[in-house]
This record gives sequence, structure tokens and C-alpha cells, in this order.
Amino acid sequence: MTNRRQFLRTTAAGALALTPCFKAFAGASPEAGFPKRFVFIRKSNGERPLELALPSFSNRDRDMDARKEALEVDLDGHELPDYLKGLDAHKADMTILQGLSCMMSENGHFSYSSVMGCYKSNRNSLSGIKRATIDFELAKLFPSPFGHVELSLTGNYNAFRTGIVSGYSASGPQQRNYCYADPQTAYNELFKCVTNPEAVDSDNAMLSFLEGDENFKARILEGYEKLKLSNHVDSLESIRRRNKQLAGISGDIAKHLPTIGKIHADGGLNASTPEKWEAMTEVLIAALVTGLTNVVTYTIDELSTPVRGLPGNETDRISIHGLGHNEGYSGVSADKIRENIRIGHMQQVARIVERLKAQPEGKGTMFDNTMILYFPEGGETHHGHGTEAPFVILSGANCRLDIAGRYIRLPYHGKEGHKTLGNWYTTLLNAHGNPIKHYGDLDLEMSRRKLEQTGAISRFMA
Amino acid sequence: MGRVGILSALAAMAVAAQPPFQVDPAAADLLENQCFSCHEEGTEKGDVRLDNLAGLPLDVRLDLMNRMQEQVYLEHMPPKDKKSQPTAEERKQLVAWLSRELGVHQASKLEGKLRMPAYGNYVDHAKLFSGEHAGLPGFTPDRRWLISEFIFNEKFNRLLRFRPTRDIGPKQANGRNARVPVSGDSRRNGVNLTNPFLLPTDSGVRYYDTTTLDGGHLLTMLTNAREASAYAIYLAERSRGRDFPAIHAILKTEWEHQALLAAREKFLGDFIGIVLRDLYGEEKDAALLPTFVPVTIERTGGGDNYKKAPFHAAELAREEMQLMYFTLEKFRDAAGDDEELLRLCERDWFHHGHDARKIAMRLTFLDGYLDEWRGRWETENYAKKNPLPRYKPLAESEMEIIRATILRHRQKGDTRLAVIGKCMADWKEQFRQERERAGVANEAQLGALVLELFREILEREPGDQEAVENLQLAKSYVGKLGNVAGVRKMFETLLVSSDFAYRSEFGAGEPDEHGRRMLAPRDAAFSISYALTDSSPDPELLKAAESGRLATRADYEREVKRLLAQRDKYHVIDEAVEQLGVQSFTNLPVRKLRFFREFFGYPNLMPIFKDDKRFGGAYKTVTAGLVSEADMLVEHILRNDRNVFEELLTTDEFFVFHSGDNEAMAAHSAKLREVYEEFRGVDPGKLTEKDFDARAEFLKAHGITRVGRANLQTFRKTIEGISARFDKGQRGAPPYVLHHYQGPTASDRAGQKMRYEQIVKCYDLDLHNWDYPVEQPAPMPHRAGILTHPAWLIAFARNTETDPIHRGKWIREKLLAGTIPDVPVTVDAVVPEDHTKTVRTRVAEKTGETYCWKCHEGMNPLGYAFEMYDDFGRFRTEEFLEHPDNIVKKGPDKGDPHVDLRDTFKTLPVLTTGTLAGTGDPQLDGEVENAIDLTRRLAKSERVRQSIIRHAFRFFMGRNEMLSDSKTLIDADQAYVRTDGSFDAVIVSLLTSDSFLYRKATDR
Repeated sequence: MTNRRQFLRTTAAGALALTPCFKAFAGASPEAGFPKRFVFIRKSNGERPLELALPSFSNRDRDMDARKEALEVDLDGHELPDYLKGLDAHKADMTILQGLSCMMSENGHFSYSSVMGCYKSNRNSLSGIKRATIDFELAKLFPSPFGHVELSLTGNYNAFRTGIVSGYSASGPQQRNYCYADPQTAYNELFKCVTNPEAVDSDNAMLSFLEGDENFKARILEGYEKLKLSNHVDSLESIRRRNKQLAGISGDIAKHLPTIGKIHADGGLNASTPEKWEAMTEVLIAALVTGLTNVVTYTIDELSTPVRGLPGNETDRISIHGLGHNEGYSGVSADKIRENIRIGHMQQVARIVERLKAQPEGKGTMFDNTMILYFPEGGETHHGHGTEAPFVILSGANCRLDIAGRYIRLPYHGKEGHKTLGNWYTTLLNAHGNPIKHYGDLDLEMSRRKLEQTGAISRFMA
Repeated sequence: MGRVGILSALAAMAVAAQPPFQVDPAAADLLENQCFSCHEEGTEKGDVRLDNLAGLPLDVRLDLMNRMQEQVYLEHMPPKDKKSQPTAEERKQLVAWLSRELGVHQASKLEGKLRMPAYGNYVDHAKLFSGEHAGLPGFTPDRRWLISEFIFNEKFNRLLRFRPTRDIGPKQANGRNARVPVSGDSRRNGVNLTNPFLLPTDSGVRYYDTTTLDGGHLLTMLTNAREASAYAIYLAERSRGRDFPAIHAILKTEWEHQALLAAREKFLGDFIGIVLRDLYGEEKDAALLPTFVPVTIERTGGGDNYKKAPFHAAELAREEMQLMYFTLEKFRDAAGDDEELLRLCERDWFHHGHDARKIAMRLTFLDGYLDEWRGRWETENYAKKNPLPRYKPLAESEMEIIRATILRHRQKGDTRLAVIGKCMADWKEQFRQERERAGVANEAQLGALVLELFREILEREPGDQEAVENLQLAKSYVGKLGNVAGVRKMFETLLVSSDFAYRSEFGAGEPDEHGRRMLAPRDAAFSISYALTDSSPDPELLKAAESGRLATRADYEREVKRLLAQRDKYHVIDEAVEQLGVQSFTNLPVRKLRFFREFFGYPNLMPIFKDDKRFGGAYKTVTAGLVSEADMLVEHILRNDRNVFEELLTTDEFFVFHSGDNEAMAAHSAKLREVYEEFRGVDPGKLTEKDFDARAEFLKAHGITRVGRANLQTFRKTIEGISARFDKGQRGAPPYVLHHYQGPTASDRAGQKMRYEQIVKCYDLDLHNWDYPVEQPAPMPHRAGILTHPAWLIAFARNTETDPIHRGKWIREKLLAGTIPDVPVTVDAVVPEDHTKTVRTRVAEKTGETYCWKCHEGMNPLGYAFEMYDDFGRFRTEEFLEHPDNIVKKGPDKGDPHVDLRDTFKTLPVLTTGTLAGTGDPQLDGEVENAIDLTRRLAKSERVRQSIIRHAFRFFMGRNEMLSDSKTLIDADQAYVRTDGSFDAVIVSLLTSDSFLYRKATDR
């Protein structure tokens, strides 16, 4: 068995040669069978814990939940909160996980990459990015042609961002990822080998020219200097290999190409927010089903995402930030609009679950090997302080955690037995082959109180 | 059969397909005599057994031999306490055998490791400075050096014409700072680039020539190249060929067509209604429009708790607001009331062909906010800012084309936008055909493109063969992809070539008797420039290279001194600090300052996450200020340029909550005093609206705004806070107010409010009882140099406690040129918790065993001296035993900035004595009283001075020193001594040394 130190040494050596995203497609799958898949869906404006409480809680459970006392309830036989009702059919695969804290990440309005890396991002400064975020760590364990795909629907309050823009995940320390900011761009980039093979050809022509050129230069060099250029040549060659690999599976990709409405052309300036959600979900599903990636991070909104065309407020231009300050539109209260947004989000989650359940894989379906995590970027509310970060999780039968079908409230922040985001991510990593002792920064209040806080959440380990 | 015999026999049995494992006789004797007693079957110290090497699987054997090679070479084995030691010659023999055997499999790692910064000190210090090797000819191997994160930014800023500026220049007549260009800003608008060339985050020298470009770099560069190529094309178009003229020449026709299309589209967008009416007559035009279908809007009332979104949260995008304004104005006179006005607007938008959702959104907004918006029109000067477009037809030839095309395409029921769309499609196709007939770019244009891209991207001319090959490539690109995509692909190709990613440093000309050649002039220009800045050479330096004036040592000296004297160029020091709203700039050559900030490593405090409660205030507000003020201190010492190392290690004058501008800080503090005098004797708690009204002008003049009638409580608190600072008799007061946005908080030199007043908590100062020194740096008690600056102390501390081990390690390695081996794999390097003991005691207990102490004795006794400070850099004589069981008194949970929110714990006295060993000077080595005693002794040490010189060598050369660099190091050291401690003299000496000037091809 690989021990922690060996593992760290192995990955450190790998990191010298290739960044995680590159290594991900360069390496072979570490284990036989089907890869595990992860979809991280980040939402803004906090997630208020009470809104996840089960309406059918017994009085005792309701009181315990309100008092933030540890609690575990089977979802079976319970009614889900209104906004989760779209997932009723998948209750057995669902976990409502309450009580995790995220004080070690940036809270308040924005968390940037910190909520997935368990560090303070210092207002998104590059030097604040301390480590690869959890999604990239998992992507390393389950390599794929793209390694990792990041999507986002964000904006400047009035208009959506479009194209390829800076992302929220990090492939390593000080390495901010990029993401596809509109469905059409994501479609164009991810499925290029099918939709635009000429572009791939011209990429290959360029790589081939460069390879020849660098080989020529390397001819006259010796020793370490020669090695530098051979590394360059090897890297060019690796990218060509990836392109070849993609071309090899282009038939499969073509079969699962998503359909994106014309309204999304040129960045989709007139597309409503629900239309953007739906199209992005289609791209996301296709990226998983085609095997282009096993890990997707999707920022479904942040405070600056314009909300337009939302059912109930079809003609308003809603500011999510305004909702955080309890501002309503067209007579609809902020709380109601917030709920409608979450309902829209859950429709997307349901769509992903259902489509993956319809996709055979081995003796089961693709969903069996998939985990979807929906969570707030900044804790428990609009100006979150991180004592709570509720997660809604959908996980398939082969998921390596024992959590499905339950409402779980962990001991509150600063109490014995409390678990942080770091514990949660450590659990994910340990369960999937990375034996790291603890992922992320420690919680300083837990440290001050001298409470144990490292390691996986052992009760979740299957 | 002896053990060597067994080894040899096993060697013979080695797998036939592999080269045979051979142990030469001398190595066999050494193994027998020096190693086997501890590492054979039965003993196997450290789980290492060497008597079965030949029988091990190849990969295991190679791994073990690599470890052996390192241990023997670095003299870690045999252990120092072992009586029998190999001679230097024997050690050499053993290493030679190991290298040979590893070399057979190309598996030796030692050479690679010795190139790394962490191994720099393994070159013998005494040998370097004794003079016995000063006769060796110095040189740097011919090399390619991967660009740094900083050079990456400057390269792209130059290439993409990104010219950031800041209000940080010299003061102008109006008292404000001048806006000046800066380097070091990577927040480029309009182009999204990712920097793949990030340096490691350790302290010391971070930028070495050892990093090679890998797949990760390349993938990122491919994405960058695509972004940059698109942006370059945009620049060429925007500047009408001033930027990238060759690109412009190739794409000119396309852009002319685009410009024409854009002009027609804009004209029609603004005036299609008029054009259609003129063309068809009002009645016929109306008849051709589509049948109006109104949009439906749900209008619901809010409940009791409903809070309507404010205007700013509901308003639409700027262009939407402008369009609505134009339409409202257009129908203002025609409509009887607002309802009719909105109906007319809606109808117009519909006929125009606007998206139904957009129309609905506009109407929803107008329904809720029209009155409020109208109110703003006047106050916001809306009409002036948004003049209505006035109809002016295009040239008649254009109008003819437009009219003819409309007549050709318009059909009944078409919206106006549909008409425009049809016309545009028609014209686009016509232009496309026209371009197709003209063909793609010709050879001359593509030749010019290749030349331009080489100059712009690679900053050089192409060689003859390169010009030919790249021209062929360009032809093939435009042939297959067309002009636009072809040009972009050519741009991308050069951006991802290794010539962009690597700096080139090769010798040229005839080699001397040692096989060395002087740096090629162009390479020299870049090397000098990158030594001191992040930018490519300035025109003067390039001119010197081109005109043969970069050929002698004197030429180098002239240029280096010129660059060192420059003060008209400003640099952002640290974007992370700036991003947190704190100034971070310099007009010194930025790499001079960067050497010390990286050497000391104090910026590493930024990612350390610390607890507010333990700090006793808002810790996060002070991090950037700490780094900025440490930078200011280093800069201050560098500007004086006398006894630089000694000053850095011993000065007791610090900047604390200060911008570096004494005059401005004095003015800020004086302003507070005037407020204090104005309200002297008044009980702030009893201030009324009347008091505010009576002094409204005074308060405004003193920058106290946004307080008063509406928020009297804040007004009272503000005055109370100011009064509290002077009531105790101070002459000056730290210039801040409780609510930063409301008062005369000082601004830094970048014009940002200084919001990190709680920084004083790191210096044990009380904000309400501190005689604020407006002139800084000013003496601070219990401090001596950067190592006692809170920034350094925090950077070398753990989240919740001090870290004597790493503080000691830093001193051993950075100041005493010593070496500390890596933590052995078998060691559990965690200091156990025990809330009845001090950190020092716990560390001592954990590391005191012989096995640990052999390394820790090089660190702990140095680090212990810093126990006079806690992990926030606060001076202390007692250590809190922080544990819930030890709480004596709970601190408040909230409070004003001056309030200490810490809990009080039981304490134990801190022991600050330590031991200095390793200076080689008996006057200095020995027991030290505390950190101040230690740093003062260090500052007097020749070895410390030389150790800093060695690090400076590595910083400016980008590599570890070799024995052949001995003269370079001695000269630099002597230059420092001769000039009373000028660091500029050190830089000049290094950059005019043989080690810098001469290059040699090696097979290193």
C-alpha cells in the first residue's frame, strides 16, 4: 500500500514535469474499471441552513436542527424542502449535509477559488492561491483527455461574461484556471475535434513545425541545455498525442454532441438565465458522457451574474447582490426570487442525474460512478462568515462514501466533533485513493480551542 | 567469502540484459571499511543495507545508490561522530564509482540537485573566499533561462501595448502625486492571460536557470497565444496600423470592409426609420411593418415585507438605458401621458425588431422606476451626456447603395432590424467575394509579417533560414485558413516557440585560452536589463549592443551604473499587496529591492492564515501593511546605500502605520489635532445636531464627511476616538478614524486610505496612547533589523505559535552559509501539544534526542533567541499558554480598533537565550541574550556578509556558485567593504565580473 509520504513524493515529482491538468490527460487511469466523476456546482449568495431543513422533521429533530445539534435522519419517508422537490425521485441518492464550516476560506461576498482550496484567497490574488483546488486534486486521480473542465455563468450585473475567462479553480499553487463563460464557447472548445477539425489540423501543423524547429535548435546543444529543449519537444509531442487521442474518439463524441440553441451564438446576449443554465447543463452532461473529462466545476452564478427571464420575474433584470440585501422585484420578495433561482439550479441537477442514469455503464449507469456537489461559495448567507456551508450531494451506487439518502447535521463549529470543509475534502480524497492526511488550512478557532480537526470524516468512509 | 566477495559474486549474477553491476576495488574497500559496519545484514541502521546492492532490483538499487552518492558527497555519511572518516580523496573515489554506476543507467540525480538553490551552500565557503581558487577563470555556462513570472508580464505588456499607470509619481504643484507609467501590473483589460512561469514561494533566491519548460507551461502558453493573437489583431485594427503594420497591411481590406459595414449598420441602426419613410413614404412604410403584438408583463404587488430593489440594482445596462432614453424623448411630445408614451415606445421597439424579452424588461423597469429615473435626468445631467442622434445622411454614393439594397430585400412584415440584417448579409457576401477574387496575402506581405512578428514577439531579426521557413509556414497557414486565421496562427506559433519562453545567454566571438567567449552583445543587453528590471533592454542599452559599445567590462559598468541610477521608472513591487488596498511600488530598479524581499522572505506572511481572536483585532487588515512597510524599510536602507547589510540586520528605526511621506503624514496627524482642539473639553457623548451644524464647514474642511445629523452616533464616536488619542498628552496621533469612509484617515502615496491602523498591535503599541512619530522610520523599542520586523517574524511562524526551528534554519542557511539536511523520511516532524509548557520547551523535548539534535543544534539555538516575540511579532517576556483550560480572563468579542480583544491565559516566562555558532569569529560565537544580541553579532560577522554576497551572486547569476566564481565573490565582497557597505557596488562588481561576462559551452 502506498503510504502518505510515498504518495506525496510521487505527486511532487509529477508536478515537476507536468501541471495537474496536463498530467491528467497524459497519464493512464490509476485503476481498472470505470472512473469516478465529480461535478462541483458553486452558487453565490450563501445557502441558508434553515432552507434545507426538512419540513417533515419531528419536533425533536426540528429543534435539534435549529439549535445546530448533530443530527442524522433518513430522507426516505420525509418531505424535501420545496426547492429540492424536483429531486424527489432521487432522494435515495441524495445527501443534505449540514454543519460543515468554511472559515478557512474567504467568506463574505466572494470566495473566488478559496472555497475549493481551503485557504484565504486574499481577494483573489494569485499569491493567495495556496494549492490545487479539490476538483483538480480529484481530476488527477481520474485522468481524462481534458483532465478538468470549468464552466461559469457570471457577469458584470448587466451582461454575462462570454468566451474563455479566468476561472475559480486552481491547478496548483498560484495557478488560476480558466473557464468557459458561455455555453457556445464551451461547446466550440470542448467538441472542436468534431465541430471544427480544420482548427485541430492547423494546431497540429503548428505543433509539428515547432517540433521540427526545436529539434533543429537542440542539435547543437549539450547536456542540460539540450535537455531543456528536449522537454519542450516532448511537451509539443504530448499535445499532438492528445489531439490524436481526441480524434480517435471523435466518433463517440459526435454521437453525444449536445444541441445548443441559436440564441447562444456569439455569447448569447439575448439568452435568458434559465436558457443559459439549460444550455450549460447540456454541455456539462456531454463533456462527461463523451469521456472528455471526469471532473467539471461549474459556477452556476456569482453575485454579479445577471438574472433575466426567471419564472415569476420574467421581465426583470435581477441583481443577485440585491437579493442578498433583501431587495425584491416586481412585487416578488427577495426570498421568493432566491428560492426560484435555487429551483432553477435544482432542475439542472435533476437533468444531470437523469441523463447520467439513462447512460449505461458496465452493469449499471454512468450516474453510479458520479457525485454531484451543490454548495455555496461563501458560507451560510449573502455576507457569510463561514460557520456553516451546506452541501446538497447526489451520489451514485458506486460512490465510495456512506452518505446517500440522509440528512446529516454535523456538530456545530467550535464544538467537539465539528468538521470543516478541509475534513470533507480530505474525505473525498482519501476515499478515492489520495491518502493525504489533511487537505487545506486548519480552522483557527478549532485550533484555539485545541479541538481535533484533521483527517477524513471517518463515519462517511464506506 | 568476504562481504565484498558476496557483493561481487552477486554482481556477476546481475541480469544479463542489463549492463553488469561493477564495484571497483577502491570503492569495495571503502564500503567494507566505512559503511558495512552500520549497513549490512543485521545492523541496517536507518533501514539501509548496502551489502546486497547487486541483488536488488535495478530501480531499488539505483535509488539507494543515489542516496549513497548524495550522503557521501555532502559529507553526511559517515556520521561526524564516527571516529574513522574517509580522506577527501577516498570520498572522491567513492562518489566517482557511484556516479559511474549511476551514469551507466543515466540515473544520477546529484548533478541535478546540486544545481538547485537549496544546494548552493554545499560549495565550500572557505574555499570560495580563501583566495586559493581566485585564479580560476570565472564563467557561466552557455544557457537558456526560462523567463520568470515577472518577465512574462512585462513581455506581454510590451507586446500588447498595455501601459498601466498609477498616481505615485513625484508631487505636483497641486500637491497630488503625478500619474506615471508602472511596470509590474498584470491586470490587463481585454485579454485573459495565465502566467505559467511562476516562481517557487520559498525564501531565498527563487529565480534560477534550472527550470525547464514542461507540458503545463506549454498548454497554458497555447491558450495565451490564442488570446494574445486575437488581441494583437484588434490592436492593429484599432490603431489603423500604427501597431503591427504588417498585420494591418494583410487585413486592411477586410477591415475596410468591416468599417464600411459597421458605418452602414450604425447609420441604419440610428436612422432606419427615417430612411424607410423617405424611401417608401410614411403610409406605405407603415403598411410594410409587421403587425404589432404587445408583450405581456405580470405586475404583482408586494406583500408587507416586500422591499423594492433600489434604482441601481434594477437599472439595465448602459446601452439599454440610453436607448430607452432616446425613445422616450422621441415620443415625449406625441404622447398625452406616460401610459401612452410607453405604448408608443413599445410599438417602436417592436417595429424595430427588438427582442421581446428586452422590450418586456424595459417596460418592467419603466413601470417601476420611470419617475425616479426622470428625477435623475436633471441631477445627473443626462441630456448632455446622452445627446440625441441627429440625422445626417451618409455620402450620396453610400446612400444609393443602401437604398438599392433595401429595395431589393425589404418584404412586407419585416421589422426594421430584419431589413438591416438582410442588407448586411448581402454586403458581407459581396465583400467576401471581392476578397476571394483578390486572393490571400502575397509573399511580400507575408515576408513583412514574419519580420514584424520576429521583432515584436522574439525581439530580434529572423536568421536567413528562419525567414525562409517561417515564410513557407505563413503561406501554408493563410492558404489553408485564410488571412485572419492564418495571421493569428503565425502569431501563435512564435509565441509558443522556446525562443519566447527562454532568455538566451550565449557567448560569441573567438574563445579565449580558457574556452570562454564574451556574452553576445544582444544577449548581454538582455542579461543586464533582466538583472536589474523585468523589462527588455531600454533603447540606450540596445543601441549600445548594436553599436559595439557592449564589448568591454567598462561598457558593462557604464550601463549597469546608468540603470542603477534611474529613478524615473516606477514598478509595482507586489500586486498581492496592492490588491489589498495598500501601496506597493518603488522607483529603484525593482530587482535590487526584490533580492532582499525574497532573501528575507517576509512577503511569505501573506498566505499565513491567523486567528483574529489571538491577534486581538482584525488581523487580515494588517497583512498587506506589514509587507508594504517592511518593503519601505528595505527601500529606505537601499536608498542610503551605506552599510546596507548591517542596517538591515540591526536598525531600530521602523515604519509603522506610515506612508513613507513624512510631510503628508504630519499633515494628516495635524488635521486630527485641529479637530481635537476644536472639540477640546466637549463631552463627545453629548454632541448634538447643533454642534454638528455649528461646525459643518470646519468638519468638511477637515475631511470629516458623511457624519452628522443623519448618523450622530458615528459623529460622536469619531470625535471621541480622536480626543482619546490626544487627551493623554501626545504630540501626534495615528491618523485614522473609527469609520474609514467618514473621516480624515491618512492616504498612502498611491492615494488609498490607510486602513491598517491595527498594525500597531504587532508592535505592542496602544492606538489611543501612542505619541505618533510623523517622521519615520522612527525608533521602535525591542527591535533590531528585519529579523525582528513583525513581517519576518510572522512569515517564519506557524498559524498559532512561533517556529524557532525554521527561524534558526533560515539564519543557518541564509546568513551563516550553512547546510541543514532534509528532514529524514522516517522522522515525524511534529512538535507535540502540551498546554503546560512553552513552545521552546516542547521543541527542545522533541528535538533533544541525539538523532534529532545532530541537525537541530544548527537551528534551534539560533531560533530560540526570537522567543522574545510571539507569532504576531509582539515583544513579550511571558508566553501565553493558549488553551481553553488556561484562560484567566475572556477578552471582548468586539471592540474599536484600539481595543485588545485577546483572551488572557496563564503564562510562563520566555527564555530568550540562544547560541551563535558558525561565524568563525570567536568574538561573536557563543551564548546570546536574545534576538537583538544575536542580530547585532550577526551584523558584525564577515561570514554573514559573505553569505549575503553569495546569495546576491545567485540572484543575479541565476545559478549556484562554483569554485571558479571565487574571484567574482571575493571582488564583490571587497567592493562592499571598500565602499562602506554599498549594495550598488556589489551589483556593479557582480555584473562586471568574469562570471557574468564570460560564457562557455559545457555539457553540464
